Amino acid sequence: MSIAVLSSLSRCGFLAFRSPVGLVAVRHAQTAAAPATEPRIKKFQVYRWDPDTPGDKPRMQTYDIDLNKCGPMVLDALIKIKNEMDGTLTFRRSCREGICGSCAMNINGGNTLACLNKIDTNTSKPSKIYPLPHMYVVKDLVPDMSNFYAQYKSIEPYLKRKDESKEGQEQYLQSIDDRQKLDGLYECILCACCSTSCPSYWWNGDKYLGPAVLMQAYRWMIDSRDEFTEERLSKLQDPFSLYRCHTIMNCTKTCPKGLNPGKAIAEIKKMMAMYKDKKTATA
Amino acid sequence: MAAVFRLSCVCSRGVKPLFYRSALLSRPLAVALKDQESPYLLSARIHASQTPASGSNAASLHWTGERVVSILLLALGPAAYFHPGAVVDYSLAAALTLHGHWGIGQVLTDYVHGDAKVKMAKAGLFILSTVTFAGLCYFNYNDVGICKAVALLWSK
Repeated sequence: MSIAVLSSLSRCGFLAFRSPVGLVAVRHAQTAAAPATEPRIKKFQVYRWDPDTPGDKPRMQTYDIDLNKCGPMVLDALIKIKNEMDGTLTFRRSCREGICGSCAMNINGGNTLACLNKIDTNTSKPSKIYPLPHMYVVKDLVPDMSNFYAQYKSIEPYLKRKDESKEGQEQYLQSIDDRQKLDGLYECILCACCSTSCPSYWWNGDKYLGPAVLMQAYRWMIDSRDEFTEERLSKLQDPFSLYRCHTIMNCTKTCPKGLNPGKAIAEIKKMMAMYKDKKTATA
Repeated sequence: MAAVFRLSCVCSRGVKPLFYRSALLSRPLAVALKDQESPYLLSARIHASQTPASGSNAASLHWTGERVVSILLLALGPAAYFHPGAVVDYSLAAALTLHGHWGIGQVLTDYVHGDAKVKMAKAGLFILSTVTFAGLCYFNYNDVGICKAVALLWSK
């Protein structure tokens, strides 16, 4: 009730009238649910591994959480565990609203963001939480992303122009159509859910770039302002960087942002078959 | 290069977990010694396949070739049904062999790691494909041929 009133107030522009007391009331109402009739105990099985304990082996640790006293998302449950039950549980999180990509993990068998994943309210089944699959684990749910970031760096994910003398003098304009080509590509937050769901990336992660990075490569290839399309394409001319993709489509299925890396890779393959290398074209 | 990376993983994990050296983690105490001997970032060595553009478009040609052969095979099905004969027989022998050769080649590239093993697997595959093609040609020449043989499956 108080939430509804307050939020409607704030939408009407009465922001200034919100009292601190009201804010506290809202916070309280959001985090602690109404007094429950019966506790709904849900089991969470979480992957644990501590590199600082010599000889420690990975194990699953079970936590019981009353869903009536917990927020709706898996990240709420993890934060609740860390705050109230076990301070040693380690995971990455930041924005808690699906825009930073920190809390990517494997929940009930699928890669997703913990902050966008609703807790399964079926209390008879435990929720299983693992780090992103086939990544080196730093600790508990924290994977080592060095390789992923290095691959992202290798595709030079920034605007490149042949003539840099005019840099910073005027805007590079784009037609509305050209701008629309970037929709569905630029929204990627590099959470690595797609790459780590791809079997090809599991077996050849050192040489295959993976769906997330390839989609960003495509994003710069089709940018009308970028002048290095051919060079970007010719960098993928080896059996591994691009062609380990076998259209398995786990990437598209798992993407927590609803993007389609599988299609972007298919488009790259088409461009690869069509483009004329500038060097061979002029020679 | 990939092998070097693998090796370095194993070596460094023997000392302390590899991840401590990552620039992304701020654990300077654990890093200090290791970084002095290798001042560059670990991540700088990781992705090895981005060699300076080779200038060849062999990889994309191969991909295009695979699609062409697949489509040819699809077209050869009806052709074999309506116009069975020597031409279709030998075309099928070649297309089937090539399709299988490239297909299994992809599987090998996916799953076989290590230079020696890759060489052995490729040699084995080459022998397999050669024998297949020779066998199919022998069958076409000395026996009824592929089209007839398939037709015989439901004629009796």
